[in-house]
Amino acid sequence: MEIDLDNAATTPIEPEVRSAMLPYLEQHFGNPSSRHPPGLLAAKALEQARATIARALGAGPEDVVFTSGGTEANNLAVLGLARARKRHGRHVLVGPTEHPSVREAAAALENEGFEVETLPLDATGGLDVERSAAALRPDTVLLALMLVNNEFGTVYPVARVARLARANAPSAWIHVDAIQALGKVPVSLAELGVSSLSLTAHKVHGPKGSGALVLAEGVRPLPLLLGGGQERGLRSGTENVAGIVGLARAVALAVQSQREAARSMHRLRSLLCEELSRWRGARVLDPGGKDAVSPAIAAVQLPGPPAEVWMHHLERRGIYTSAGSACHAKKRSVSSALLVLGLDAQEALHVLRFSFSRHTREEELRRALEVLKEVESELSARR
Amino acid sequence: MKPAAATGEVVVARYGELWLKGKNRHLFEERLRANARAALGGIARTRIERVQGGLVFAPEEPPDGHKRELVARRLQEVFGFSSISPARVARPEPDEIALVAGEVLAAALEERPRASPIRFRVETRRSDKTFPMISTELDRFVADRILGPHHERLKVDLSHPELVLGIHVHADQAWIFAERLPGAGGLPVGTVGRVAVLLSGGIDSPVAAWMSMKRGCEIVSVSFHSYPYVGASFLQKVERIVRRLARWQGPSVLYGVPFAEAQTAIRDRTREDYRTVLYRRMMQRIAAELAGREQATALVTGESLGQVASQTLENLTAIGAASTLPVLRPLIGFDKEETIALARRIGTYELSIEPEPDCCTVFLPRRPVIRGRIDVCEDEEAQLDVDALVTQAVAGAERKSIEPA
Repeated sequence: MEIDLDNAATTPIEPEVRSAMLPYLEQHFGNPSSRHPPGLLAAKALEQARATIARALGAGPEDVVFTSGGTEANNLAVLGLARARKRHGRHVLVGPTEHPSVREAAAALENEGFEVETLPLDATGGLDVERSAAALRPDTVLLALMLVNNEFGTVYPVARVARLARANAPSAWIHVDAIQALGKVPVSLAELGVSSLSLTAHKVHGPKGSGALVLAEGVRPLPLLLGGGQERGLRSGTENVAGIVGLARAVALAVQSQREAARSMHRLRSLLCEELSRWRGARVLDPGGKDAVSPAIAAVQLPGPPAEVWMHHLERRGIYTSAGSACHAKKRSVSSALLVLGLDAQEALHVLRFSFSRHTREEELRRALEVLKEVESELSARR
Repeated sequence: MKPAAATGEVVVARYGELWLKGKNRHLFEERLRANARAALGGIARTRIERVQGGLVFAPEEPPDGHKRELVARRLQEVFGFSSISPARVARPEPDEIALVAGEVLAAALEERPRASPIRFRVETRRSDKTFPMISTELDRFVADRILGPHHERLKVDLSHPELVLGIHVHADQAWIFAERLPGAGGLPVGTVGRVAVLLSGGIDSPVAAWMSMKRGCEIVSVSFHSYPYVGASFLQKVERIVRRLARWQGPSVLYGVPFAEAQTAIRDRTREDYRTVLYRRMMQRIAAELAGREQATALVTGESLGQVASQTLENLTAIGAASTLPVLRPLIGFDKEETIALARRIGTYELSIEPEPDCCTVFLPRRPVIRGRIDVCEDEEAQLDVDALVTQAVAGAERKSIEPA
């Protein structure tokens, strides 16, 4: 039996999403830019998808830009928004534990003359809101903060920071990476009060290679891809029609099921934490406090050998998890987000991530806990 | 001899030291021919003909300079050739030869800088001694005919030429070429025997494998993995390396051997400082066992003297003593830089440096022994059921045949 506890990496396609996509892979192959019936049909599917996503996330239908996934959406937001605001200032703020697609894009901005600053953490490992507020400036043009961290599940107070930013940095556009948040915590552009929001289909039971950047009214990044002017000139390239149809269905399902999914995943996470609280040397990471965490992710510092060894021992028994930091033959690649939290490189190597989906069943988790205990005794017997 | 090519374009590949091999020569030639044919598989259908001192490859396609280049480049990866020349074919008559020579020269000059005059000569060899001119006469005849249009760019220099226009005259045709590409040298793979290479995924062992192929050995690769202490993707990395090495020998056998059991047994029951030496002794036993199955008669390792703590003279001796087969260490006198340079040349370096934990990174001793002693190794191994561990590893080994890429 295989039990997937690595849903923060990716998820299988929901049957309903698949059936929505199939007609666009088979008979409806038109190019949405063509002005004949097959093209018009494809264009109509795009517009429906746009409307579905806008409705689900509290945006206007004309404000959804389809991309090749989360990385492109984050790149478009960080590079495109900052560049578009250049005449208002050159100051950029990014969250303390952003995904590389935000971090690396921000680093690239430094080469264009922007000043990039990272928001500070407090003693618990959560965002230090007061000091973050102090970092806001009149010439701040972009603030990028993720809603849910992908490695340990911390939920950042995006709405609060956005309010502070509107007051203290009036020129700033605020981008939120909602990729790990969608379907796990409430996500609404309007309620968060942000300028843009990125998402990707494959983290919510949709297809890989399809994502979107959702924009608030009047927010317009400079495009990264130039060409035929698709997506109102914000993202040229023939649209991935089937992928977009799949994205829309997946997003709608994720938003619809969010409350119930959160409740069931919360239960799983509690069971896991409860078991590990009995282990010597094990610790669940909850930077920012127990209440500010996604129900879908549990990062656990395990005793004994590095997390990678645990991962392979579990995988051999059909249980899939993720060791974010790996020790390689010559170099150790350690997650920088874990280091930011104040873990040292040794500790970071011992962090194993469990992540759930709305389909993870309690009996699966219980079985996984049994196996985890087996592996523990196997690994410790040999020490 | 039959005409080598209707197309007028051939590739001439000259033997290296192969011709020295006396009575066995035809075996070497046959094997070389088969290896070359395998190397060209999928590129071009070529006719291969034996001539004095080498083989001639005639693509059976309409004239296509690009294909000829591809053939030449692939032949550079076949051990046993000393040099390779893409050549044009002419009828063996002085006028014809000069005509084609003029075209070959013009093409060669297009690829060279115009800055300063190029030192140049013509060099003729005749295997048909009935040809109406002797070699030096043909040299001069051709040079007189072709130098004219290029006299500003060329300067005749018989002793230090930069550009040599070669002419080989045979009874029924002549070859004209301006390039002599270096061959891979060495002996045809498979003519010397078969060896089992302990392939770690690091930089050294693929180079050792390549060097043993160069000296005519066919290789079987044996790789140890410590799953589930490291990821199963380790074997994919080793497969990529073997696929690269297979360019020099064709389909190649790889054994992936589960090694975690042996390693944990060693870790749990023997002294820590001897672990590395004991792991390696165990690997030698397992590799020797697998070698026997594949009719391989020696082991090859990437060890070199003194490069890391486990490679002291004492440790190499203690490790090698566990093998029932002779252990060849082609890199024994190499500096690391030399190995790296060669790994880059053969294209395994990029594959080797991909970060992927291997079995050597598991349960490393804090202070490995520098001067390991065989008697201590044997005492420590008395704590283990060595035969059972070897049998278990051999039974769990996965055999794969890897196609070249």
